[in-house]
Amino acid sequence: MFSEAYMVNAFVAGTVIAVISALVGTFVVARSYNFLTHSLSEIAFAGAALGFWLGFAPLLGMVFLTATSALAIGSLENAKVKSDNVTSAISALAIGLGILFLALGHSAASSATGILFGSVLGISTSDLFLLFLMAFVVILLIFWLFRPLSLLAFDEAGLLQSERKKGLLRVAFLLIMALSVAISSQLVGSLLVFVLVTLPAASARMYQKSIAGLIGLAIFFALFGTWAGLTLAYLTNLPTSVFIALIEVALYLLSLSLAKVD
Amino acid sequence: MNEQIRVSHYGATFGKKTILKDLSFSLAGNQLTVVLGENGAGKTTLIKAILQAALVKSKGKPVQTIQVQAKRLAYVPQFRDLGADYPLSIQSFVGLGIRDHGLPWLTKKEKAAVSDALRRLDLAEIADLPLAKASGGQKQRAYIAQALAKKPDLLILDEPSSALDGKHAAFLVEQIRQVQQDFQMGVLWISHDTSWVRKTADSFLWLHDQTVTMGAAKDLPKEADSKHREEVLHVF
Repeated sequence: MFSEAYMVNAFVAGTVIAVISALVGTFVVARSYNFLTHSLSEIAFAGAALGFWLGFAPLLGMVFLTATSALAIGSLENAKVKSDNVTSAISALAIGLGILFLALGHSAASSATGILFGSVLGISTSDLFLLFLMAFVVILLIFWLFRPLSLLAFDEAGLLQSERKKGLLRVAFLLIMALSVAISSQLVGSLLVFVLVTLPAASARMYQKSIAGLIGLAIFFALFGTWAGLTLAYLTNLPTSVFIALIEVALYLLSLSLAKVD
Repeated sequence: MNEQIRVSHYGATFGKKTILKDLSFSLAGNQLTVVLGENGAGKTTLIKAILQAALVKSKGKPVQTIQVQAKRLAYVPQFRDLGADYPLSIQSFVGLGIRDHGLPWLTKKEKAAVSDALRRLDLAEIADLPLAKASGGQKQRAYIAQALAKKPDLLILDEPSSALDGKHAAFLVEQIRQVQQDFQMGVLWISHDTSWVRKTADSFLWLHDQTVTMGAAKDLPKEADSKHREEVLHVF
């Protein structure tokens, strides 16, 4: 399997993506931002379509649009508009634009499928470079903001900051989410971002009681699903995202039932 | 007297209703002050204004209505909704509050401060229990332990004993008084229950009729006594 260059690339990319998604996912799940993740992934779809239309890397389009939307959602949220409603409006706009960009770019149906369902087996070395760069930025931001982010996600009432600083932190968190959504779309596609960002972190909550433990176990679940998914995809010639989705959902349901037994 | 909080000509209104009018007072650091008043007297409003003043640094600006001298501030709000599936243990929760910047991991000294806070609030034995599984009183103590772990020089508590029964409320008063003296910190304690104030606190701030009366706790006027008990008895 590893004699094929594309499989090596896919494994390297998959590993980076799984780690970033699970890391960010721990905070996303703690802050109950699951719905927002989904909306950001729809925005990522529009961004990738924009990339296809204007002829630049879809990943760059994703980063650009998700980050812009994160800023918009953040400022609206800080203006105390009900966040679910804001997110609905922005994601509706994003899907509309995505369809428009695909039509304008006369993009082939295969590129739309690639964006929506992931195309990690087709990842090139230059894509990998961009992915590493983005992953590095996310890790740096999380390292730098770890303490305030932990408070924001796990106990906002305990975050004693002026309203202005809290607002900046919320925007920073949304930007981190935007980047990680764009990153994980590469592997599972924008329709299935849930699979890597929220499910491993949600499963980990059944077993771990510290933030480090939650992050560690979420990364383990995400890596397990990704590696097994890639292997199964190679063996069966079926799409990778199918297997990753099935494995992560199974892990989640298993964790949930074990937690109920306790 | 090392002054920690100075309020000059502060007022608050909700729409057309005046809650507090032209309040001026100052509080020394290193003392336990109880903030009293009926529901709606403006206790929480005043505390929030003090908090904001402490959080927003007023460098170079002319004299502010409220000035607070506190390097490390801690605040325990009255309500906290963490959800029934909150994953963190009491210990991890307490560790969250130790600082809001810097390295991800806690230093040895900070870990010791977490253990100390847990011990002081009688949580050491259940430190590993998920916070979601703790009782109401244990949760309340965990919130206070989280605030104490950062060794504040000003601690603000908004009705911390309202969810506790008489025995635990008395325990809390005792513990907070002890910590206040050990840490040499200022404590502002909003309370409905005045039964312990004269004996244990240093001073009181009584909000009534849009204004404030303050003094030494032992001189707390009878009129300031909580109507809480009467209200409860009335119900029965």
